[in-house]
Amino acid sequence: MVSPSTVSLLLPEILVIATAIGIFMAGVFVGDRRGWSWIALLGLLLAGGHLLFGDLPSHERPGEALYGPVGSDELGYWLRLGSLALGIFFTLMLTSSRAEGASAEALGALLLVVAGLMLVSVAKELVMLFVALELISIPTYLLLYLGRGGLAGHESTSKYFYLSVLASAVLLYGFSFLYGLTGSMRFDEIARSFATSDVSGPLPALAVLLVVAGLAFKIAAVPFHFYAPDVYEGTSNLNAGLLAVVPKIAGIVALVRLVAMVLPAELASLGWQLCLGLSVLTMTLGNVVALWQNNLRRLLAYSSIAHAGYMLIGLCVYLSLRAAGAEAVPDGLAALLLYLAVYSLASVGTFATLIYLGGVEDEGPRRPSPERVEDLAGLGRSYPVAAVALSVFMFSLAGIPPLVGFWGKLGLFYSALSVEVSSDQALLGMPLRSALIALTVIAAVNAAIAAAYYLRVVATLYFRSATVSATLPADASLAGRGGAGFVMGATMLLVVVLGCLPGTLVQRSRAVSPRAVDSVSSAASPEAAQNSAPRPVVVRR
Amino acid sequence: MWETIAAPPFLLLVSLAMPLWGALVILLTCRNDAASARLLALFFAVATLVAATGVVVQFPTDQPAAQANYAAAALPWLGEATGLDIRFDVAVDGLSLWLYGLSALLVLTAVLISWTTVREREAGYYGLLLLLAGGMLGVFMARDVILFYIFFEFTLIPLFVLIGIWGSDRRRYAAVKFFLFTLAGSLLTFLGLLLLVLQYDTFSIPELTARAMASPLDPAWQTAIFLLLFAGFAIKVPLFPLHTWLPLAHVEAPAAGSVLLAGVLLKIGTYGFLRFSVPLLPEATATLLPWLLWLSVAGIVYGALVALAQSDLKRLIAYSSVSHLGFCMLGLFALNRLGIQGGVLQSINHGISTGGLFAIVGMIYRRYHTREISELGGLARRTPWLAAFMVFFTLSSIGLPGTNGFAGEFLLLCGMFQRASATTAAAYSTQFYAIAVLAVSGVVLGAWYMLWLVQRVFFGPLREPTHDDQPIRDMGWSEFFSLAPLAVFVLWIGLFPGQFLKPMSATLDRLTGRATAAWEQQAEAAARTDAAELADRGQNSPQRAESPPR
Repeated sequence: MVSPSTVSLLLPEILVIATAIGIFMAGVFVGDRRGWSWIALLGLLLAGGHLLFGDLPSHERPGEALYGPVGSDELGYWLRLGSLALGIFFTLMLTSSRAEGASAEALGALLLVVAGLMLVSVAKELVMLFVALELISIPTYLLLYLGRGGLAGHESTSKYFYLSVLASAVLLYGFSFLYGLTGSMRFDEIARSFATSDVSGPLPALAVLLVVAGLAFKIAAVPFHFYAPDVYEGTSNLNAGLLAVVPKIAGIVALVRLVAMVLPAELASLGWQLCLGLSVLTMTLGNVVALWQNNLRRLLAYSSIAHAGYMLIGLCVYLSLRAAGAEAVPDGLAALLLYLAVYSLASVGTFATLIYLGGVEDEGPRRPSPERVEDLAGLGRSYPVAAVALSVFMFSLAGIPPLVGFWGKLGLFYSALSVEVSSDQALLGMPLRSALIALTVIAAVNAAIAAAYYLRVVATLYFRSATVSATLPADASLAGRGGAGFVMGATMLLVVVLGCLPGTLVQRSRAVSPRAVDSVSSAASPEAAQNSAPRPVVVRR
Repeated sequence: MWETIAAPPFLLLVSLAMPLWGALVILLTCRNDAASARLLALFFAVATLVAATGVVVQFPTDQPAAQANYAAAALPWLGEATGLDIRFDVAVDGLSLWLYGLSALLVLTAVLISWTTVREREAGYYGLLLLLAGGMLGVFMARDVILFYIFFEFTLIPLFVLIGIWGSDRRRYAAVKFFLFTLAGSLLTFLGLLLLVLQYDTFSIPELTARAMASPLDPAWQTAIFLLLFAGFAIKVPLFPLHTWLPLAHVEAPAAGSVLLAGVLLKIGTYGFLRFSVPLLPEATATLLPWLLWLSVAGIVYGALVALAQSDLKRLIAYSSVSHLGFCMLGLFALNRLGIQGGVLQSINHGISTGGLFAIVGMIYRRYHTREISELGGLARRTPWLAAFMVFFTLSSIGLPGTNGFAGEFLLLCGMFQRASATTAAAYSTQFYAIAVLAVSGVVLGAWYMLWLVQRVFFGPLREPTHDDQPIRDMGWSEFFSLAPLAVFVLWIGLFPGQFLKPMSATLDRLTGRATAAWEQQAEAAARTDAAELADRGQNSPQRAESPPR
C-alpha cells in the first residue's frame, strides 16, 4: 500500500525521525548537548518548513485525501504544525533542564515523541494509530528514566511503564473487536460498515468501552488517572510537562478520530452518556483533590486531570448531537480542539516557567528547584518576569478573561448550552438538554473550585515573602536558562495576545473540525459527498 | 479636527484606552521610579476624567431617540466568520451614563488619596489601579454580552492583587475570599448570560433587549435564568446573606481599593440587575419580587444593626455599605419610576459619599495607624478640615435634605410606599407596607450609627494613640483635592437632582416597563383571587347571618 505519495506526505515525520536516529547514533560519540539541541531544532524547523512551504500532496484536493494508512486533512495539518511547535518548545526547555536529564538520548527520544504525535494526527487506520501512540509511549519511558534519578524517579518510571502497557493492551483489545465486527482497519470502512450493519448486541458497546478506557489513560481521565500525580511528582519538570500535554493531545485526537467519527448513532447514545459521566467525575475529582496538594507538580497533575474532564464535555456534546440524529454539527469538537490548544499552551508555559526557576546544574552550587507551592513565596519580587508569567498561566488555566483560557471555557459552555434538538435521548431520566445544562453548571462550579488552587499559587508568588528554607537565589541572569526563558516568554505572549484577539484561533478551530468529520462521513454516505459543495481552497503562502 | 476629537464615540474609546495604556506604560517603564509612576498615574487619571466628562456633557438628554446609540463605537473583533459573533461594541446610555462618569471621577480620587500613603512598589500599585479603572469603565460601556462579562471578570485580577499586596494584616485571606466569592457567582451568571444569548441568538445587548421585549421567554425558563444571573449580581451587590466577603475585603484593602470597591464595583451588581435581569426576564422578576424585596430590606436592617456594633471604623462603614446597597436594591425592585430612579441615583450617591468616607478613614489611618474607634476621640481639634469633610459626608450618607443622600433615599422610599399602596392584593400589600416601614427604620439606624461614630471620633475630649514619629497635620493638598470634587457633587445632586434624573429617565422607563407590567398583572390576579374569595365568603355569610345575634 505504501506509494511514493505516502512517502512524500510523511516527509516531515521522516525528517524528524531521521534527526532522532542521527542523534541517537552519533550522540554516543559526541557528548555536546548544546550542539545536539541545535541539530534537533534544525530538524524540527526543516520539517516545519516542509510542512508550511513544501509541495505536499494535500487535503486541498479532497479526492486524494487518503493515502493508505495515513491521510491528510485540515485537522491533521494543523496538529502536525502544532506538534512541531511543541517539539521546538520542549527542545528549548530541555537545554535549560538539569544536566542529568538532558543527554543526547533524551533529545532523540523527544524527537521520536514529536514524530509519534504527528503520526497520530494523520493516522487513518487502526494499526497506524496504535503504532503512532506507541511511538509516543516508548520514548516517554526512556525520557522518564533519564529524567530524574532516585527512588521517586524509578517509582514514577515503572508506574507509568506498567500502567501504560496495560492501557495499550486494553486499547488494542478494543481495536481487535472493531476489526472483528467490521472486517476492516480503515476508519472510513469501519464507519461505513457500522452505518450499514446492525450494531445492537453487547460487542460493539464493549469495543467502545475498551477503546475509551484505553484512551482515557492517555488523557488521564477518571478512573484511569491514578498514575498521574505520582508520576508527575516523581519526575522532572520537563517530563511532567511532556506528560501533561503530549499524551493528552494524542488521546483526544484519537478519541475525536475514532469515537466521534467512526461511531454510529446507536452507539453515540452510549458514548455521550459515558462521556458525561466520565467528565463530571474527572473534573470534580481532579479539582477537589488538587485543593489539598502541596507539591507543585502533583497539583498540576490533578489540574491536568480536571482539564481532561472539561475536554470530555466537547466530546459529549458532539456525541449527543450524533445520537439525537442531528446533522453533523461540529460545535462540540471545535470547542474541544480549541480547549486542547489553549490548555496545551498554558501548560507548556507553566512547566517552562518551573524549569526556568529551577535553573541549571552547572551554575555553581546546586540551586533548589521549586518543589512545593511555598517554594514560590516571594518570587514576585526576586523573579518578576517569571512570576508574572506563572500568574498569567494560572489565570489562563482558571479561565479568567481576557486570557486565552477564557475562550476555551466559553467555547465549551456555549456548545453545551446550544444543544437544543428535541429527542428522546436521556440520562437517568433526565432529558438530553437538561443533562447538558446540569453538566455545564457542574463545570462552572468546578471552574470556581479550580480557581482556588490556581489562586493559591499566585497568592504565594506575590503575597508572601520568601522563607529562609525556600529562597531561590535572586539573580535574573539568563545564563543557561535562555531556552526555558524563551519558551516562557513566547507562551506568555501568546496567551495574552490570543486572549485579547482570539478571532483567528476560534475560527481555525471551527475550520479544522468539520473537515475531520466530513472526510469520513462523506465517505460513509456517497450521496452526501456529492451534495456537499467543494470547499474553498485555503491559501497559505 | 476638533469635531473628530470631541466626538462622543472617540472620547469614549479614549476614556477606556487611557487607563489601560497608562497601566502598561507605568508597569513597563517605572519599575524603580516612584515619583514618575505617581505623576503618570495622575496624568492618565486626569486624561480619563476629561474624556469621560466630554462624553457625559454631550449626552442628548432631550432627545430620547438619540440616546440609544449615543457614543456608540465598534472595533473589529471576533467577527461572524468565527461562528461567535462577539463584537467590541461600546456606548453609554441613560442607565450607564452616571455610573460611567462616577467611575472616571473616583479613579482620580483613588490616585490622589494614594499619593502620600502608598510607599512601596508604587509602579505596580498605580499600574494595577489604572488596570482596575479600565476594567470598570469597560463594564459600563460594553454593549456586547461577552465584552461585558470580560470586563466584569477582569476587574477581579487587579483588585485581588491590590488587596493582597497593599492591604493590611489579613490581606491574603481577604483577597482570596473576595476573588473566589465573586468568581463563583459570576461563573453561574456567565451560564445565565450564555443561555440568554442562545435563546435570542445575538450577543449584542441592545438587540437582546429588543428581542426579549418582543418575545419573552417561557416563565419557568425565565426563573431558571434569573437565578443563574442572580448568583453573580447578588454577590457583587452584595445582597444579604451573600455579603460576608465584603466587610473583610473592605477592611483589608488599601484605601483606594476600598473607595473603588464601594464606589464602583458594587454598582456593577445593581447595574447587572437593571441591564439584564429586569428587562430580559420580566416575568421572573415579578414572580420573585417579594423575595427580592425581603432580601433587600433584610440587608438594610441587618447591615445597620451590625454597623452599630462595630468598633473598627472601616468595618463600620463597610457594613453601612451593605445597608445602603439594600436601599438601592429596594428602590430597583419597587418597580416604579420613583423607586427605580431613586435606586439608581442612590447607587451613585453611595459611590460618592461612601467613597469619600472610606477615603477619610484612610487619611485617619495614615495619621494614627489605627482604625479602632475607642482609641480615637476629639480629632476635630487636631484636623479641623478633615473633621469638616467627615461631617459633611456623614450628613450626605444619612440623607440630610439638601445633600444627595436625601434625594436618593426619599425618592426610593416614596417609590416603595407607592408600590405598597398601589398593590391591592391583601397578601402583598401588608408585606410591602412592612418592608417599607422596616426600610425607614434603616434610615433612622443609619443616622444613629453614623452620627454616633462622628461624635466618638471627632468630638469630645482629645484621645489619640501615641505617635511619636511625626506631628499630626491637617489635610494636605492631595487629600483636599481628592475629596473636594466629591463634595461638590454631594451638593449638586442634593440641590438639583432633576439634572441627574432626567438623562436616565427615558432609558429606565424603557428597560423596566415590561417588568412593571408583569408585576401589575400578577398583583391584579392576586387581587382578583382575593375578591373572589371575599365573594365566596359573602355567599356563605347569609347562612351565618341566620344564626341569632348574641
